Amino acid sequence: MTRLSFSVGFAALLACAIAQAAELPESIRQAGVLRLTVNSTYAPMEYRDPETNELVGLDIDLANEIAKRLGVKIVWSETPFAELIPSLQTRRADFIISGISDRGSRRETADFVDYLATGPQFFVLTENAAKSAIDLCGKRVGTTRSTSFPIEIEKWSRQNCEAGSRPAAQYVPGENSIDVRNQLKQGRIDAAVQGSETLPYAQQQEAGKYRVVGEPFSTGYQGIMFRKDDAALREVVTQHLAAMIADGSYKAILDKYGLSANAVPQPMMNAATQ
Amino acid sequence: MREADTLAGGFPDISGMTLAHQAHWRRWLAAAAILVVLVAIGRAFANGQIEWAYVGRFLTAKVILEGIVNTMVMAVLAMALGIVLGVVVAIMRLSPNPVLKSVAAGYTWLFRGTPLILQLLLWFNIALVFPTIGIPGLWSARAVDVMTPFLSALLGLGINQGAYTSEVMRAGMLSVDAGQYEAAQAIGMGRLHALRRIILPQAMRVVIPPLGNEFIGMVKATSLASVIQYPEVLHNAENIYYANSRVIELLIVAGFWYLLVVSILTPSQMLLERRFARGSLQIAR
Amino acid sequence: MTRPLVAIRSVSKNFGEFQALKRVSLDVRAGEVLCLIGASGSGKTTLLRCINQLTSIDSGGIWLDGELLGLREEGGRLHRLTPQRIARQRLKTGMVFQRFNLFPHKTALENITEGPVQVQGRKREDAQAEAMELLRRVGLAAKADAYPAQLSGGQQQRVAIARSLAMKPMLMLFDEPTSALDPELVGEVLTVMKELARSGMTMMVVTHELGFAREVADRVVYMDHGAIVESGPAADVLGAPREVRTQSFLSAVI
Repeated sequence: MTRLSFSVGFAALLACAIAQAAELPESIRQAGVLRLTVNSTYAPMEYRDPETNELVGLDIDLANEIAKRLGVKIVWSETPFAELIPSLQTRRADFIISGISDRGSRRETADFVDYLATGPQFFVLTENAAKSAIDLCGKRVGTTRSTSFPIEIEKWSRQNCEAGSRPAAQYVPGENSIDVRNQLKQGRIDAAVQGSETLPYAQQQEAGKYRVVGEPFSTGYQGIMFRKDDAALREVVTQHLAAMIADGSYKAILDKYGLSANAVPQPMMNAATQ
Repeated sequence: MREADTLAGGFPDISGMTLAHQAHWRRWLAAAAILVVLVAIGRAFANGQIEWAYVGRFLTAKVILEGIVNTMVMAVLAMALGIVLGVVVAIMRLSPNPVLKSVAAGYTWLFRGTPLILQLLLWFNIALVFPTIGIPGLWSARAVDVMTPFLSALLGLGINQGAYTSEVMRAGMLSVDAGQYEAAQAIGMGRLHALRRIILPQAMRVVIPPLGNEFIGMVKATSLASVIQYPEVLHNAENIYYANSRVIELLIVAGFWYLLVVSILTPSQMLLERRFARGSLQIAR
Repeated sequence: MTRPLVAIRSVSKNFGEFQALKRVSLDVRAGEVLCLIGASGSGKTTLLRCINQLTSIDSGGIWLDGELLGLREEGGRLHRLTPQRIARQRLKTGMVFQRFNLFPHKTALENITEGPVQVQGRKREDAQAEAMELLRRVGLAAKADAYPAQLSGGQQQRVAIARSLAMKPMLMLFDEPTSALDPELVGEVLTVMKELARSGMTMMVVTHELGFAREVADRVVYMDHGAIVESGPAADVLGAPREVRTQSFLSAVI
C-alpha cells in the first residue's frame, strides 16, 4: 500500500466519521419520526390553545422547525411534569424540550443543550404595595412545587432578607402556575414566582392584573434534555439549532411569543451554574 | 311389619372402611405456578431500573412518616364526618317529610355526581367566589384564611363520603325487619328514638363491611388532597422526587406505607364486625 | 252501662282499591277477653293495628278510655295528632306480634326494660326489678340474660308478652300470637295468656286457636271481608253460630 493511497483512505474514513457525527441515529431515520413528550400546562412554552385545543407553544415551534430540518415528523405525547425525566430514561421520548431547566441535579443521567435564558421572577397583583423585591421579605411567596423555584426562593431569602436582618420570605407550595396565580388572586399568597418566560403571556391573558417586581433574581437556562449515551442525536440537534440562531428563524419564533429578551447567542451544553 | 324389617340384599356394609386422604395435586400445581410467576415479577423489580438504595433511604424519612400520620388523621376525621352526614342524610331520606327527603336526595345527587378531585379543588379555591365568609353582623373572615388545605381536604373528603355513606346506611336501615320498627312503636317510641335505639344498632351489622371498605378507600382518597397542598404522604413523597428525580423509588415508598396501613385495617374490620354481631348466631369467621 | 274501654265507631280503612275495613263498630269492656276470628284478609289484624295506630284509619273513630285516638276535633273538623301525641297514646296499649319482634341485640331483660327506661324515664334498677318479676310471671326468670337467638319461639313470645306488660298498658292486643310457633310450644304461650286473662287484663286476641277462645274468651267476634258478621259469647258463636258464613268458616277450620 502506497503512502498516497493510505492518506486518501484515511481522509475518506475521516470524512465519513465527520459526516456520521452530523447525522440522525439510524433508528430515528428509519422510523422517520421523533417521539417527543411535553407537559402541556406551561404557556407560552407548551400549552393547549383554549380555542382550538391544539398543542402550541415556543417549544413546539422550535421542535417543529428542527424536525423539518432533520426531515422527520414529530409524534407528540403529553405527560405530567414529573414524568418528563422518566420518559427520557425509559426511551419513551427521544429528547425532552418542555420548558425544563438545566440543573446540576438533573445532569446525573442527562445532558442539556441550553436554548433559552430564564430565571425566576417575582410578580404581584397590580394593586400590591411592593415596589422592589426587598419588599417581599416576610411575605408569603408561592410557586409551583415541582420546579426548582422553591429552592431559589429560599436561597434568595437567605441572601437578601435574613442577611439584612429582615424576616424570611415564606414559601407556599402550588400545584402548577395556574394554581399559583389563583392563590395570588385569592390572597392566599402575597407574591408569586414564575419563570420569566411565562410572564409576558400571563400578563397578556389577564391585562393589567399582574405587575413584575424587580429583575429575574437568578439566571438559568432552559435546556433540551438528552440521554447521556445519545451524543449523536444531541450533536445533530445542536447543529440545527445553531443554524436556526444564525439564520434568524430562532429569533422569529421568540418574537412571536414576546420573549426576544430571553434569547441565547448560541446553544450551550450544560451551561447552567446550579 | 316383619317384611319391612328385612333389608334388601346387594348393599354391603361399608361402615368399617376408612376414608382415603385426598391428594389435591391440581391445587399444588396451581400454587407452584403462581409462585413461579410471583418470583419472576419479584426478580424483574429487583433487576429493573429502580435504585433500591433510595427506597431504603426514604422509607422512614421524617417527612414521609409525618405524611402517613397526616394521611391517617385525615382519613379518620373525614370518615367520621362522612358517617355522621351519612346517618343524618339517610334518616332524612327515609323521612315522611317531603322537604327533608328532597334535600337528602339532592345532596346525594350532587356529591356523588361530581368527581372528588373537582370538589377538593372547589373547596380550596372557594375564595374566588366568596372572598369573605361569615355570619352577617357576628363574625367574618377571609375565605383563604379559613379554607386551609386541612379544612378544604376535610370538607371535600367528608362531604363527598357522606353522600356514599348515606346510601349504605339507608340500605342498612331498610334491611332491618319492619317488625322491629313496629315493636318499637308499640312500646311508645317515636321515630327518631326507635332509629337510635333499635334500628341503627341492628343496621350496623349490615353496614360495617361496606363501611370498612369505604374507609380503606378513604385512606387512599386522601392522596387526592395532595393537589390542594395537604401534606399527606403522597404530597411529601412528590416533593422529594421533585427535588431528586427518583420518581419510581419514592412512589414505592408511598405505596409501601399505604399497603401497610390497609393491611392493619383489614383484620380490625373483622373485630368490629364481631362486636356488632352480639346476639346473633351468625358470627363471621 | 259503664263506658266501654274501647269504642270503635264506623271505622273504614282502604289499602288502595282494597277495602280492608267497612264501617266496623265494636265495643270492648274493661276486663273483657275478646277473640277475633276469621279468614286471612277478613280485616281482623287491620282492626287490631288501627287500635294502636300502627295503621291509620280513613274514616270513623276509635276511643280508648274515652280519648279519641289519632285525631282531635276543632271547629267542626278533624285534625291529625302529631306523631309525638300518637306515640304517647300508644303507651296505653301493648301489642304482641305474630313474629315476636324481640330486639335481637338486647337480652331478654334488656328487651323488657327498654320501654320503661327509655320511654317512660323510670330508673333502671326499678325497671329491672319489675322486669325480673314479669319474667318470673311468664316462667322465664332463668333466661334473663339470654339473647332472643338463644330462646325457643315459645320462650321469645313469652318475653314479648312481658315486654308489653312492662309498659303497664290498660289494653293488650295479640296478633295471632301462636301462629308462628311449633305445635309443642303453643301451650306455654296460651298458659301465660290465660293467666293474664284471669288477672283481669282487657285483651283483644286475633287467633286461630279456637280451643283457647272457647276456654278463655268472654266474647268471640267473627269477621269476613272487612265487616263483623257475628259476635257474642264464645259458647254461642263457636257452639251454635247463627250466621251461615260463620258456620262454614268454623266447619272449615275444625
